[in-house]
Amino acid sequence: MSAFTADAVDGHAVAPALPNVLPEPKKRGKVMGFINRHPTIVLGGTVVGLMILMAIFAPLLFTVDPTALAPAKRTRPPSEIYWFGTDMLGRDVYSRVIYGSRVSLTVGFSVAAVASIIGTFLGLVAGFTRWMDTIVMRIMDGMMSIPGILLAIALMALTRASMKNVIIALAAAEFPRVCRLVRGVVLSLREQPYVEAAIASGTRVPVIIWRHILPNTLAPLMVQATFICASAMIGEATLSFLGAGTPPIIPSWGNIMAEGRALWQVKPYIVFFPAIFLCLTVLAVNMLGDGLRDALDPRLAKRL
Amino acid sequence: MLAYFIRRVIATVPVMLLVALFVFSLLYIAPGDPAAIIAGDQASPDDVERIRASLGLDRPFLVRFLEWLWHVLHGDLGTSIFTNLPVSHMIAQRIEPTVSLMSLTLILSLTFAIPMGVIAAWKHGTLLDRAVMTLAVFGYSTPVFVVGYLLAYFFALQLDWLPVQGFTSITEGLGPFLRNLILPAVALGLIYMALIARITRATMLDVLSQDYVRTAKAKGVAQKGILFVHALKNAAVPIITIVGIGFATLIGGSVVTESVFAIPGLGRLTVDAILRRDYPVIQGVVLLFSFIYVVVNLAVDLLYTVFDPRIRY
Amino acid sequence: MRRRDFLRTTTGAATLLAAPRISRAADSKVLRFVPQANLANLDPIWTTQYVVRNGSLLIWDTLYGVNSKLEPQPQMVESHEVTPDFKTWTFRLRTGLKFHDNEPVLAKDAVASINRWMPRDNSMGVNIKQQLDALDVVDDRTFRFRFKSPYPRLLFALGKSSTPCLFIMPERIASTDPFKQISDYVGSGPMKFKKDEWVPGSSAAFERFAGYEPRAEKASWLAGGKRINFDRIEWQILPDASTASGALQNGEVDWWETPSPDLVPLLKKTPGVMVDIADPLGNIGSFRINHLHPPFNDVRVRRAVQMALSQEDYMRAVVGDDESLWKGLPGFFTPDTPLYTEQGGEPLKGPRKYAEARKLLAEAGYKNEPIILLVATDVAITKAQGDVTADLLKQIGMNVQYTALDWGTVGQRRASKEPPDKGGWHIFHTWHAGADCVSPAPYTALDASGSTAWFGWPKSDAVESKIVEWYQASDPAAEKKIIGDLNQAAMEDVVYIPTGFFKFYQAWRKNLSGIVDAPFPVFWDVSKT
Repeated sequence: MSAFTADAVDGHAVAPALPNVLPEPKKRGKVMGFINRHPTIVLGGTVVGLMILMAIFAPLLFTVDPTALAPAKRTRPPSEIYWFGTDMLGRDVYSRVIYGSRVSLTVGFSVAAVASIIGTFLGLVAGFTRWMDTIVMRIMDGMMSIPGILLAIALMALTRASMKNVIIALAAAEFPRVCRLVRGVVLSLREQPYVEAAIASGTRVPVIIWRHILPNTLAPLMVQATFICASAMIGEATLSFLGAGTPPIIPSWGNIMAEGRALWQVKPYIVFFPAIFLCLTVLAVNMLGDGLRDALDPRLAKRL
Repeated sequence: MLAYFIRRVIATVPVMLLVALFVFSLLYIAPGDPAAIIAGDQASPDDVERIRASLGLDRPFLVRFLEWLWHVLHGDLGTSIFTNLPVSHMIAQRIEPTVSLMSLTLILSLTFAIPMGVIAAWKHGTLLDRAVMTLAVFGYSTPVFVVGYLLAYFFALQLDWLPVQGFTSITEGLGPFLRNLILPAVALGLIYMALIARITRATMLDVLSQDYVRTAKAKGVAQKGILFVHALKNAAVPIITIVGIGFATLIGGSVVTESVFAIPGLGRLTVDAILRRDYPVIQGVVLLFSFIYVVVNLAVDLLYTVFDPRIRY
Repeated sequence: MRRRDFLRTTTGAATLLAAPRISRAADSKVLRFVPQANLANLDPIWTTQYVVRNGSLLIWDTLYGVNSKLEPQPQMVESHEVTPDFKTWTFRLRTGLKFHDNEPVLAKDAVASINRWMPRDNSMGVNIKQQLDALDVVDDRTFRFRFKSPYPRLLFALGKSSTPCLFIMPERIASTDPFKQISDYVGSGPMKFKKDEWVPGSSAAFERFAGYEPRAEKASWLAGGKRINFDRIEWQILPDASTASGALQNGEVDWWETPSPDLVPLLKKTPGVMVDIADPLGNIGSFRINHLHPPFNDVRVRRAVQMALSQEDYMRAVVGDDESLWKGLPGFFTPDTPLYTEQGGEPLKGPRKYAEARKLLAEAGYKNEPIILLVATDVAITKAQGDVTADLLKQIGMNVQYTALDWGTVGQRRASKEPPDKGGWHIFHTWHAGADCVSPAPYTALDASGSTAWFGWPKSDAVESKIVEWYQASDPAAEKKIIGDLNQAAMEDVVYIPTGFFKFYQAWRKNLSGIVDAPFPVFWDVSKT
């Protein structure tokens, strides 16, 4: 039969099958396809993942006790025994950097988590209760008027140096912005017909939040959280640099750099190695955030 | 418009009051005690007690707050516990270096970052675009003091082109002023530049894909240059927003930069005062910084109307 | 406020665009100095900080002044008379002494200054006040001390360098309550303080006072003629060690009081920079223990720490790898001084006894109670010592609670006699200038009178009786014997534990001459080419 003869099926004309002149599309595996479409998420995520693994498996990575003093062997340059050299009290810099990842990562993730939780809660309250809205937003405006680092230093000055206090201080500087973000989402969604319908049909507020509001905040919140994480890690380093950070007995990238800063001209490796690790991790987290933003909201993909 | 302006200004008053109350009450419950520091290393516990009483740190909270507020409204920010100088005098001494540093940083950042963002948008998708964006991400991933030390090491110590530290007022000549401030301004501005470049690129891309721009291009209107100027004007609003919000980062970063480059500005004053628990100075400076930030954001809001005729209050 | 400044800055730029600027550091009449710490206030009676005393040495003069052998020499005083029983001292001031406002220095100013100083000087002034019958002005240039009991060491008290020093201020300023700060810095010394140029935390300036009449003799520490060869001395406060080092290397500053030991090799290699020991009398590190509360109220626990403490570890941590900078110190007095002794110092010598220490702790009944260790992390010396202590205590099985604070909070907390778990403390670190540890006279930290002693409140009757004996000693031989026994008693009762003897360097540009070694920066007879 000719290719152009119309066939009849049930009395309807059916177009003849056209020859396939297009080349076969390349069969990309799902994974490779994902990597190609979201390179930043993959790269960022991998590096962050590696850092987390490094932090968890620190004792197994040829490290020694990071707090073991040996003043007789202070400030030795990097060598076979001391991969990153020793610091001003004879401690092994390599071990301190590896163990330091625990503090820096914990501070970063904790601040992101705490700020997100507090900010979300306040944002929901502000978005849903009109009279609380003004009060809460005024307080948030007040807090945002104090530059973040100053607020964190001031809070640290009130208490003892400890990781918990650093986390609280840094989170305090970050949650107002999260609150504003969530409130924005709540306000915009409240006007939506389906939300109004839900309220009208008597659905209780917590259910509305759970079913309608929260899923919509998840995307921008995740993106914001990664940026808070990056900012908190740098914040911890800055606080340690200024002398208001985590207690020096627990190594963190920030306080290894702070202790080494007086010697930086003659023994740069004490500052150099934690600086590299910190920059790499923060870079990775930022890339992760960028990638998430692109992936989760295509509208924003072209933007930031 | 004027009504909006007045309303906005009035709205800042409760915010400032909250900031004042916040700052004051935080410090009141602080466990540190300036009396012992002042007494010095060889002093006896009795001396410390006597000094504490002589400083008046044992009166009730509300009394001290209202008293302080009254003084502030009259321009009197109190007297520093450690130096016995009026706080407003100490602030006045140090405001010029900080303002100079921030102004230079602002000018540098805008001058370099906006063109960078525009070029990245223009060459969207090419290697140049990726390079600019990667540089930007590096920019805000590195702590300020690391950048500061690196710059000081290379340009001041190795190449000996610039001084390591210090500040020279512009009244002593533009050359020396720039020589002292260029390294700190670059170190401080890196984050700012990164943010501005990225938002410039993003909004430019957004604007350039708008229908009216494509229509204009199709009609052959003017050259790319003029097109970009038009596009830039429309992109101005988000850029200005970031400039306003990022100002807080600038203030925070100046604290570290002033420490590394030994610039006698407000940032260093604040940190020294906080770690020493010099209450009147802390209160005065944090209040001032918040006031500046509020004013900057007010200016940003007003600038919107200049750049975007659609925005009218 | 900001906009006005901004406008002012831009107009300034427009008009002074090409104004050339003479490099200030090249000006040979200006000295730029980096002090050991921030000069936050300038009342040397009200605070005992060394940095305030160092600045005050420029502004005010003293009645007597110790020379490099710590012998008090007359400075503002022309002559004195003392009765053979050391109970009545009469002093006559020199002629031509002026304050910075050109008023003459009179006996009443001296008496007012002495009255302000006495209640604040715990080592000697308080005793003087107690034993004083009367202190009167005899005439414009003469004043007299009348004691109830003999006080032979009055000259040393008037001229000592340990803080607070007896600076002579105008009567109207000296009548300020010693527990309130003065705000007027009119002085009697070779330089005026430029209060209008003072930026606390950043810089301070001193200007030469033309009306100052230095003595004829050659200067030696606080004695002799204080001749200043500069029109201005500027103090630049640079708390960041790398910044200070860079500034000295570049010639932006001329003299750095306390270069950090690790940067010293770099500075030694820099052409144009000289580095040398700042003060041969050095410093003694201090491991200060709280004797009031358990477990350290039991001497066995203190001895356990003492026998395990390695001074080498502490000293290396504080001053680095240069062996010439530190020495072990099995005693309490400054090495290379007449009263130095090692009698009784065995516990600090030889191999460290960790096992024995643990046994002794168990015997004393130590059951793993937390030990509150106060560490000031913003001062390099105390932080280094604190870190070593944390490690030491861990090694002998004690439960350390490392409490990281700043120097100010340590200063507050150490004054608390409360139990450690209620805001008190067990251990903190500090150091004492060697000049302050040459004899029991200026040695506040050695006092073992219990609750009226310095922080830590050590109580040792043996030590106290030896100190009293020393004051009454008749000749150097008797003194040495008493000091030997005193040292042993202080070791046995573990008044505090010296962590070692160490010296600082100071660094300056080669174009400065006349820099001497002393416990404080000596600005007279220094000149710049």
